[in-house]
Amino acid sequence: MSSYRLPNLGLVSRDTPVSFTFDGKPMQGLQGDTLASALLANGRMLVGRSFKYHRPRGILTAGAAEPNALVTIGHGGRTEPNTRATMQELYEGLEAQSQNRWPSLDFDLGALNGILSPFLGAGFYYKTFMWPAPLWEKLYEPIIRKAAGLGKASYEADPDAYEKSWAHCDLLVIGAGPTGLAAALTAGRAGARVILLDEGSLPGGSLLFETAMIDGKAAAQFARDTSDELRSMPNVRFMMRTTAFGWYDGNVFGAVERVQKHVREPVPSLPVERLWRIATKKALLASGAEERPLVFGGNDRPGVMMASAMRAYLNRYGVAPGRATAIFTTNDSGYTLARDLEAAGVDVAAIVDSRPAAGVDYRGKARLIREAVVCGVTGRKAISAIEVHRGDRTESIAVDALAMAGGFDPIIHLACHRGGRPVWSAEKTAFLAPGSLNGLEVAGGAAATSGLAACLGEGIAQAQAALEGVGLRCPPMDLPKVEGDDAAYSSNPLWSIPGVKDKAFIDFQNDVHLKDIGLAVREGYGHVELAKRYTTTGMATDQGKLSNVNAIGLIAKARGVSPAEVGTTTFRPFYTPVSFGALTGAHAGHHFQPVRKSPLHDWAKKHGAVFVETGLWYRSAWFPKSGERSWRESVEREVLNVRKNAGLCDVSMLGKIELSGSDAAEFLNRVYCNAFLKLPVGKARYGLMLREDGFIYDDGTTSRLAENRFFMTTTTAYAAGVMNHLEFCAQVLWPELDVRLASVTDQWAQMAVAGPKARMILQKIVDDDISDAAFPFLAAKEVSLFGGALHGCLFRISFSGELAYEIAVPAGYGESVADALLDAGKDHGIMPYGVETLSVLRIEKGHVTHNEINGTVVPADLGFGKMVSATKLDFIGKAMLQREGLAASGRPQLVGVVPIDPKHSFRSGSHILAKGAEATLENDEGYVTSSAYSPHVGSTIALALVHNGQSRHGEEVLVWSGLHGESTPARLCHPVFFDPQNERLHV
Amino acid sequence: MSEFRPTLRPALGSKQPVASATFGLSTLPEGTIIHVLARPGEQDVAHLLASLNGSDPHALRPVSPDQWFIVRDAAMPNQEMKGLFAALEPRASGVDQSHGRVRIRIEGKMAQRALSKGTALDLDSSAFPVGQSAVTLIGHIAAHITRVSSDAFEIIVLRGFAESLWDDLTRMGLEFS
Repeated sequence: MSSYRLPNLGLVSRDTPVSFTFDGKPMQGLQGDTLASALLANGRMLVGRSFKYHRPRGILTAGAAEPNALVTIGHGGRTEPNTRATMQELYEGLEAQSQNRWPSLDFDLGALNGILSPFLGAGFYYKTFMWPAPLWEKLYEPIIRKAAGLGKASYEADPDAYEKSWAHCDLLVIGAGPTGLAAALTAGRAGARVILLDEGSLPGGSLLFETAMIDGKAAAQFARDTSDELRSMPNVRFMMRTTAFGWYDGNVFGAVERVQKHVREPVPSLPVERLWRIATKKALLASGAEERPLVFGGNDRPGVMMASAMRAYLNRYGVAPGRATAIFTTNDSGYTLARDLEAAGVDVAAIVDSRPAAGVDYRGKARLIREAVVCGVTGRKAISAIEVHRGDRTESIAVDALAMAGGFDPIIHLACHRGGRPVWSAEKTAFLAPGSLNGLEVAGGAAATSGLAACLGEGIAQAQAALEGVGLRCPPMDLPKVEGDDAAYSSNPLWSIPGVKDKAFIDFQNDVHLKDIGLAVREGYGHVELAKRYTTTGMATDQGKLSNVNAIGLIAKARGVSPAEVGTTTFRPFYTPVSFGALTGAHAGHHFQPVRKSPLHDWAKKHGAVFVETGLWYRSAWFPKSGERSWRESVEREVLNVRKNAGLCDVSMLGKIELSGSDAAEFLNRVYCNAFLKLPVGKARYGLMLREDGFIYDDGTTSRLAENRFFMTTTTAYAAGVMNHLEFCAQVLWPELDVRLASVTDQWAQMAVAGPKARMILQKIVDDDISDAAFPFLAAKEVSLFGGALHGCLFRISFSGELAYEIAVPAGYGESVADALLDAGKDHGIMPYGVETLSVLRIEKGHVTHNEINGTVVPADLGFGKMVSATKLDFIGKAMLQREGLAASGRPQLVGVVPIDPKHSFRSGSHILAKGAEATLENDEGYVTSSAYSPHVGSTIALALVHNGQSRHGEEVLVWSGLHGESTPARLCHPVFFDPQNERLHV
Repeated sequence: MSEFRPTLRPALGSKQPVASATFGLSTLPEGTIIHVLARPGEQDVAHLLASLNGSDPHALRPVSPDQWFIVRDAAMPNQEMKGLFAALEPRASGVDQSHGRVRIRIEGKMAQRALSKGTALDLDSSAFPVGQSAVTLIGHIAAHITRVSSDAFEIIVLRGFAESLWDDLTRMGLEFS
């Protein structure tokens, strides 16, 4: 005996069969089915195995709270484990696999855990696997994880696309049931910008299985007509298959839309899921209520189902739960189910009501057993009978399906995401949303309102109130007329049931049962937060949607207090699981992060550059030539060519900031530690910028192009940081100064032309006289190029130590100018060079970068002590730089390092140890900050920060890398390895 | 090399425009973009800028308090730009960003929906009418958006990010293309 499809009931399309497989077995459902309804229609009651005890499990709910019917959908990269069969729409060719069973769902060896269950109660792992401690990670945990579990993720890449989107509205309505539809219609007709979302595939919520008539129409037809009207409104956005999962600051809601989770082959132009961030002025939570399970023995057996779910399968999907059904209820809603079952021709064997009297006048055929409870069931993979306990008697009634109706808990999860805690209502016997939520109201079932007419009315009233709150007037709305409405119901919660022998489950997904809660309280874990962690109740992927309130009720009973005193655990996003794909959105693969391209990127590419990522920039690292076997060979050639002829290097990615205003010079004088106030027009100067704490922040050159106009360069890495810093200084520290800042990094293609032949080459394209007399070292000015065809800026500055210039031209002309320079220099041996060569050249000259400016050094540490102005009234970092520790002995100081034996080498990051010292970190005296092979020195050379390094030139040390097991005898030296007199700069 | 004439390489020169009934994406000419920064405390600079008449039509885009972009399709000759900068002083400074920024046009009935995949701005015409500008993030990339007509937006982006933004916008409009 099992569930089956009825001939003519429901909203499924009878003439559209849909084929699918479950554990490889072909089955057929109908269009409009969920996987769960299709499985039930095929008589498949057993659909999964439980997490811990591997107990046979069936379908418990018809919605998002499903803890049992978790299956794996799809294959390959589209494998999706832990899919709730109750939420998965059926599509042609759907492949579903049961989980957590071996070798098969029907015969699962893991069920042996059930035999061991007396030893596997709450806290078992904590008590048993404490010793020896090292075995926890090595042995115990891997075994436990293997034995217990859910589905397995695929190792294959997900082939589908995901994306994110923003939406804005006056009123967001969450839930398209009767309350939500009425609210959205009210607001939509008022002209408000409305978003209505619902996690189902069809709008209507409970109306889809409701038998009452609304305005003379079937409830489902009313839902269709209302949604048709809403869809016709340009001011209303209707979002189905969309779950609101979180409520965040600023009245922003997170929602995930399953765009193509219901199709076999997703269309490539659409995402499979879309993550929404919805900013709304007002929100209405109309999420309904979750039916509360009853905690009796075997309440998890296939065939036991929530009463409202049974009604949904019956009326919406046309599926009967079994041939003989019983209903165990604590309230009047059980009688509505009995009426519908009997109307559909399904035999109701008994109604077991825990109360002495019902609020409705039941006149059906079922045997009515009052003041009784179901305390257990018979059957493992499907129930065959229930045990009914009344007074001191227990009787067995043969049934193959049992509905449990334990009352309703409002779905208020979202309302508690911003710190509010649920409040226990003794009147409603349920936890309600906290009051005074800023921007969010709760209505309908979510506010513990029962009855269709009441929910419709509340939806209308709440929408009107919300819109008035944002200054919109609503026209009057007539309350739809409801016939056959259920009377408002209430029930006393039935926490514990007498006569229970078998396991009575509280948390179905995590296999937490009645005795676990009692044990937790007895062992001192009676606080709700402790009980949760001790027993794991509410910690599964369903986050305790069905279990939390029962757990709280049972803790309260065990402690002899009210549920109000126990309270709830903290509700946090996400309401239901959200895939990593949706959270990632489109930012994967090619779109993982933006690429920032230099205006000379394609020029470098056509010259064969190998690129290196520097932040978001792609910088040309070196330019290999045919026949060169390694990057070192290319770099050595480039280095030697710069020193001998000339090289061209793209330095466009340096940060560039234009400063203007009558106080720009004063401003610079305050942000740099060295003097800038009297920098002459037409001159560049190297500047050191300190942090307030006196340590060096960044360096670069700044040129005065006009009396009140400066051009600053920053390092590539700190370009944005320096801009922010300067804006802060201008806007917050010194708002009285007239200074204006504009980032011009992207405006200019900037090229370093370095080498003894640089001037000869540049002069061919620059119209102005750039002889040493006319344009000496550190000159800077705007220049005319190509006979006035173009204008740019020329700076005579050098990072390489050679005669060098940097020329900046409008970015769009960068490639053309670079081509022209190579053409002009072809007879002078000019070659492009990359950042690897740039690095070798600057290490040879002892020039620092952020390898050395590492946040721990002050100017004196790098040999820049004399640059710090002693006369300026103030500059950023001046006060803190006076701290005695920053001038004390033992400071890390910049030195050069060379290996004693030129054939030996060492790496950046290696430690400097005193000669003869044991190789331990305790003996560390500094580290190598930058290193390279210098073709001029003929060995590895390095810069290092070493304690008191400036007074230790000539000292023999050991360069040690513990990570690589390398030790290299070396000598500390002056950090300038090439042209220490700087003669080549001034030729 | 006075006979040499440098050639302009547009940042998005290799990109093909996208055009469908409901979504369009195209590049705008790399003409002129001038960043105007008013002297602190200066009043009515917007009025001054609006009254400027150059040789070609131009438009004014607010950027932030006391800052604007002057945009026009044609490139501004060096001397004219210098003249403009001089005319602005001392009340404001002009900075040439004609090559530092790239303009993209996104249009069509679904342009707003496509852009909403990247920006948190409320682009509904009631909140973001024609002429309104804002600096925002589109995905990971900072950009400046202006509604230039009921169904069209101009996006100004840093040149270095232009290709990435174009690729992102193409992806955002895929379902409408």
